[in-house]
Amino acid sequence: MKPVSRFSLPTMTSRFLLFSFIWWILTDGAVNSWWIGIPAVILATLTSVALIPPVKLVWYEVVRFVPYFIFRSVTGGFDVAKRAFHPAIPIAPDLVEYPLRLSPGLPQVFLINTISLLPGTLTAELNQNILKVHVLDAQANFKAEIEAVEQRVARMFSVNLTNRGGGE
Amino acid sequence: MLTEYVSAVLLVAGAIFYLAGTIGLLRFPDVYTRLHALTKADNLGLGLIVIGLSLQASSFAAAGKLFLIWLLVLLAGASVSHLVARAALHKGVHLWKR
Repeated sequence: MKPVSRFSLPTMTSRFLLFSFIWWILTDGAVNSWWIGIPAVILATLTSVALIPPVKLVWYEVVRFVPYFIFRSVTGGFDVAKRAFHPAIPIAPDLVEYPLRLSPGLPQVFLINTISLLPGTLTAELNQNILKVHVLDAQANFKAEIEAVEQRVARMFSVNLTNRGGGE
Repeated sequence: MLTEYVSAVLLVAGAIFYLAGTIGLLRFPDVYTRLHALTKADNLGLGLIVIGLSLQASSFAAAGKLFLIWLLVLLAGASVSHLVARAALHKGVHLWKR
């Protein structure tokens, strides 16, 4: 990605609108607050553009991701609650390695955080694109689940799963 | 009236998941499994509480604020649990196995 493209108008505009919306929510739409709000929003926009390169989101995939994430969160909550309340604590934890196919960057960070919130998986370390994942139940099919969410994240950020994991 | 009942049910359900997270924190055998209990149960528990409270919120902005809190807690929960697990690995904390 060229550094020039960072300060592109569409990126700046969309982030400006996003931060304005957040400010509006935080202040309950108080008109007076915009004296501080507009400078704050401009500063936030510049900071975010400087720190986070532009992302190309595929909105259709983002919308599809939301119900998936909610459904998996509910499953994860029920799963861990069941195991916590069960007299025998039915868990069989293990530490497994998963070679990430996503390249480093914002999509990868998003994926790692998502994996930690999905049922039965918790990311513990990232080293040379090898992700160490702690699983609550080694019998569960965690690999297929991580692969599926990795594909979803890649489609959402419209990036390729080219990285062959730990290649370097 | 109906929304108040729905809201109450969601709030109680959320509290039950918080309880589950706390019980998991106390009963699970090691730091890694305890993090599982906290992140997953609290994610759902807070989500239910946020929806429950949003139904009673006075304005759209108030509901939006609750939703923002949920997003921030998700982000913080996922990042912090990753960092705690990583620190434990680096310190050589053995993971409990059955």
